[in-house]
Amino acid sequence: MKVDPSVCLNRRQLLGAAAIGASGLAANMAQVELLSQPAFAEQLQQADKSVILLWLAGGASQLETWDPKPGRPTGGPFAKIQTCIPGIEISELLPKMSSRLHETAIIRSLNTKIADHGQAYEVMDTGRIREPGVQFPHLGAIIAHQLASTHSDVPDYVEMYTSTEGRRKGAAGYLGARYNPMFLTESMMPENLKRLESIQDVDHQERADLQRILSQQFSMKLRNNVVDSHNTAFQRVRGLMSSDYLFDIERESQTMRDHYGPTQFGEQCLIARRLAEAGVPFVKVARAWWDSHGQNFETHQELCADLDFVMAALLDDLKQRGMLERTLVITLGEFGRTPQINGSLGRDHFASAWSCTLSGCGIRGGTVYGKTDEDGKTVVEGETNAGDLFATILAALGIDPKKEIMLGSRPIPLADFGSKPIQEILA
Amino acid sequence: MIFHATQRLGLLSLVMCLSECVCLSECVADDKLALSVFIDQNLEQTFEKVGVTPAPLVGDSEFARRVTLDLAGRIPTPKELKEFLADIDVGKRERLVDQLMVSEDYSFHARNELDIQLLARLQWNNEWRAYLLQAIREHRSWDRLFSEILLPEKMRPDDKGAVAFLRQRANDLDAMTNDTSTLLFGVNIACAKCHDHPLVADWHQDHYFGFAKFFKRTFATRSGLVAERFEGDIKFTTTLGEEKRAAFMFLNGESIVEPELSRSAEEWTEIRAKIKQSESNDKADPPPVPSFSPREQLVSLALDSNKSNLLARNAANRIWARLMGRGLIHPIDQMHSENPASHPKLLDHLTTELADHDYDTRVLIRGIVLSDAYSRDSSLPDSSQLPSPEWFAVRTPRPLTPFQYSLSLWVASRNPDSLPGRDKPADWPKIREQWEQRAEQFARRFEIPEEHFQVSVEEALLLSNSPQIEGEFLRNQSDTLVGYLQTVGDEPRIIDAAFFNVLARDPKEEERAIVRFYLGARGDRRDQAIQQWVWALLTSAEFRFNH
Repeated sequence: MKVDPSVCLNRRQLLGAAAIGASGLAANMAQVELLSQPAFAEQLQQADKSVILLWLAGGASQLETWDPKPGRPTGGPFAKIQTCIPGIEISELLPKMSSRLHETAIIRSLNTKIADHGQAYEVMDTGRIREPGVQFPHLGAIIAHQLASTHSDVPDYVEMYTSTEGRRKGAAGYLGARYNPMFLTESMMPENLKRLESIQDVDHQERADLQRILSQQFSMKLRNNVVDSHNTAFQRVRGLMSSDYLFDIERESQTMRDHYGPTQFGEQCLIARRLAEAGVPFVKVARAWWDSHGQNFETHQELCADLDFVMAALLDDLKQRGMLERTLVITLGEFGRTPQINGSLGRDHFASAWSCTLSGCGIRGGTVYGKTDEDGKTVVEGETNAGDLFATILAALGIDPKKEIMLGSRPIPLADFGSKPIQEILA
Repeated sequence: MIFHATQRLGLLSLVMCLSECVCLSECVADDKLALSVFIDQNLEQTFEKVGVTPAPLVGDSEFARRVTLDLAGRIPTPKELKEFLADIDVGKRERLVDQLMVSEDYSFHARNELDIQLLARLQWNNEWRAYLLQAIREHRSWDRLFSEILLPEKMRPDDKGAVAFLRQRANDLDAMTNDTSTLLFGVNIACAKCHDHPLVADWHQDHYFGFAKFFKRTFATRSGLVAERFEGDIKFTTTLGEEKRAAFMFLNGESIVEPELSRSAEEWTEIRAKIKQSESNDKADPPPVPSFSPREQLVSLALDSNKSNLLARNAANRIWARLMGRGLIHPIDQMHSENPASHPKLLDHLTTELADHDYDTRVLIRGIVLSDAYSRDSSLPDSSQLPSPEWFAVRTPRPLTPFQYSLSLWVASRNPDSLPGRDKPADWPKIREQWEQRAEQFARRFEIPEEHFQVSVEEALLLSNSPQIEGEFLRNQSDTLVGYLQTVGDEPRIIDAAFFNVLARDPKEEERAIVRFYLGARGDRRDQAIQQWVWALLTSAEFRFNH
C-alpha cells in the first residue's frame, strides 16, 4: 500500500480546516491520541506472540495419533513408530511429525468427561464447564483480549471454518464484541475488507477522517469508554483493509505453496502463518470431520495424512522463519475416541483419556505428559482437564492464568478457578 | 385489567387510564407528575449528601431525540422534530411523551425490547415476536405476560408464541432455572448451584435446587409445545457431602408440598407411555396434564405480593436501567441483600407503583421519562470530574439497540419531505410495519448491547465497505437524503439540513467549516462528496448512541 503524497497533503488540509474552524480542535485530537498511549505501550510487550490452533473438529482418535496402543484389543490395525525423541512413540499415521517432536509436547492424559459434541465444544472452547447466565469467552477471544493492541492494523482473532460439520463461530462472551473473531467460512477473504469501487481511495480515507473529527469532538465531551470504543473500531478499519494481502496466498512463492501442499487445510495454514507473522494474536484453522463412528481407520488414514503433512510444514516454516519461539501451535478437538472398536469398525465419542499437543512458544519440546493404561481406557498418570490446558496455554504465552476479569461483582480468572499450568511441559 | 384494541384507538386520556382510576385524564396526569417529582426529590437528596452537582437539563431537540429513541425505537423525523420545537406550550414535553406512548412505534419498540430481555440472545423467533407485539398492543400487564410465558400451555391453541421462552430452554434445566430467576426476578442464583452463595447470605443451594424443581418436570413435545410430567424430583449433595431432596422452594424461601396422590401401576404406565409418545411423535395426542403443576405453583408464589415483590422489583429496576443507562440495583441480576440499591427508597417506590397500578409498565416509563433525571445532559459544561454513574447526576450514554440503530439509519437517510410529522397519514400503520421489516436485515447484524459492550470492528467494516450500506442508505435518488441534498442548492442550507436530519440538531460553526472545506475540495465530484459526508454523519459516534 503506497502512500500518495497528495493524499497526505489533503488530510493535513482537512485537519487544518478543523483547527481554523474550531479553536483547539486539532490540539484536542492530539490529546486524545496521547491519552490512549500508555495502554498501547503496555500491550506492546506481548504483542509479538501468537497462537495457531489446529482444530480437529469432530474429535480425532488419540489411538491413531499421539497415544497408539498397537497389539492390544483396542489398538486397531496401525503400528506405532519411534520418534526423534528416544522413548516417545506415536502412530505410524504421523511419520513426518515423528521426526519433528523437538518443539512439541504431547499431553496424553486429558479427562474432560463430556463426550457430547455440543457441550464438549463449549468446554474445550472456554476451558470451563458451562454455567447458566454467564457467557464465557472462547480461547481465541481470551488470547486476543490479552495480546491484541488497541490500534492494531491486523485482526485480533481469525477463525477459518470451511466445512459445515460442527461449525460454530467463536464468541467473545463477556469480553465484548470487540474480541469476536473474523469468521471465514466460504471465502478466505474476510467480508467488507475491500473498498467498494464506487469510492476512490482518497475519498474513502478522508470521509473516515471527517467522521473521526466529528465523532471525537463528541466523545471527548462525553468521556465514556463505550463511546470511545466506537472511535477505536473505526480507527482500525483502514489498517485492517490494508491487511487484505495477508489472506492472499498468491503472494507466496510456488515453492512455499508446495511446501504446505495443495489441500484446503494446507492453504489455510499458510494463511494462518502469514497472519501470525503480521502479528495476529490468534488464528484458528478447523479441519473436519473426525467423527468416525464407522470406518474409523480409513477416516484416520486420510485425515492423519493431511494433518501430518500440514502440521509438519507449518512447524518447519515457523522454525525456519524464527517464529516458533513466539508462536504457539495447538492441535486439539472437542474430545478423543473410544478405545473400544464398535461393530462398524468405528470409534465413538470419548472424553476420559485423550490427547492433544502444544508446540513452539513457551513449550518444552520433546516431552510427553501423562499416561493412559495399556488399553487406553483410563488415565493412570497426570490426569488433567480443560482448565489446566488453558492455564498451560496462557502460561506458555507469558500470561498469568490467574489474572482476573471482573464480571459485575464477581472476579473470574482467565483460566478456570482452581486450574494449574502443567509445569512439566513449560519451557 | 385487559385493555382491548378498540380502547387503544380511543382518546389519549383513555389510553393511560388505570383500572382503579375512573379514567379522568387529570387524575392520571397528576399521578404521573407525582412519580416524576418523587424521582427527582429522591435523587436530589443524594446529590446533596454525596456532594455532586448534577448536569444541566438538555434542550428540546436533545430531549426529543432521546425520548423518541426510548419510546418509538427510532430518531424523530425532521418534521416531528420541527413541529415539537415550534410548539410553545409549556406542557409540550408531556404531550410528546403521551403521543409517543400510544403510537405504532411504541408497540414495535416495546416488543423489540422485551424480545431482547427474554429471548433474542438465544433465538430469533417470529411466532414469539408476533405474540409479544400482540400482547403489547393489547396492553397486557406485566404479571399477565409473566404468567403466560411460564404457563404457555394455558394459552389458546392459536396463540402459541408464548411457548418459546420455555421451549428454547426446555432441554436444559439450568437454563430454565437461572434464566427465569435472572430475567424475571433479577436474581442470578447460578453460584448457589455448587455451593451456598459465597457473598450473599440470601441464596443457598436449597434455593437453587428448590427453584430448579419447579422446572424439573417441564419438557418440550415433538410438536413444539411445553408440558409437565407427573413426577420428577431433585436430589443434591451439599458442600458438606450431605445428600438432600430439594423442596419446591421460591426465592423468598417460601416452599410448598406436593399433595400425595395414589395411582395404580397401570395408570403410571399409561401416563408415561403417553408422555413418551408426545416427546417422540409430532402427531401424537397432547400429553396428559397433571393435576399438580409445579410451574403453576411457582407463578402463584411469585404473584403473592404479600410475600414477595421480586417480580415487580425486577421489572422496575430493568425499566429504570433501560431508560437511565444503569439499574438502581447494578448489575441488574444481583438483586440481594449484599448489593443494595443506590436509591433504596426510590426502588421501593417504583416497585409499589408498578404493583399498585396492576403491573402496567407504562406508568413507570411515563414517570421516568418526564422526570428531570431523565432530561439531564450526558456531559458536564466544564472538565470537572464526572460523578460516579450510580448517582444519575449525568446521563450515561447508551448504545442503540440493533433495531433502534437500524431504524434510525433508515429514517436519517430518507428524503425529509417523504417522512411524516406528528400527525400520521391514514396508511401509517402499514408504513411503520414495512419500516420494521426493512430494519430487520441490519438489526440482525448488530450486537445486542450488554454489560461489556464495545463497538466491534466487524460493525465498523460493515458500515465502511458493505455494498448493502451504500445501496440502502447512500443512494442518490429522489426518496433519499442524499438525493434531497442535491436539490437544495444553497450550501449553508445543505449543511444545516443534513445535520438536522441525521443528528437532530444544527451544526456548530466549526463543523460547518469542516464540511465546507470537505465539499469545497471536491468541486469536481460534488454528488459523491455529499454522499461521503452523509456517510460520515450516519456512522458517527454521536449517531450510534442515545445520549
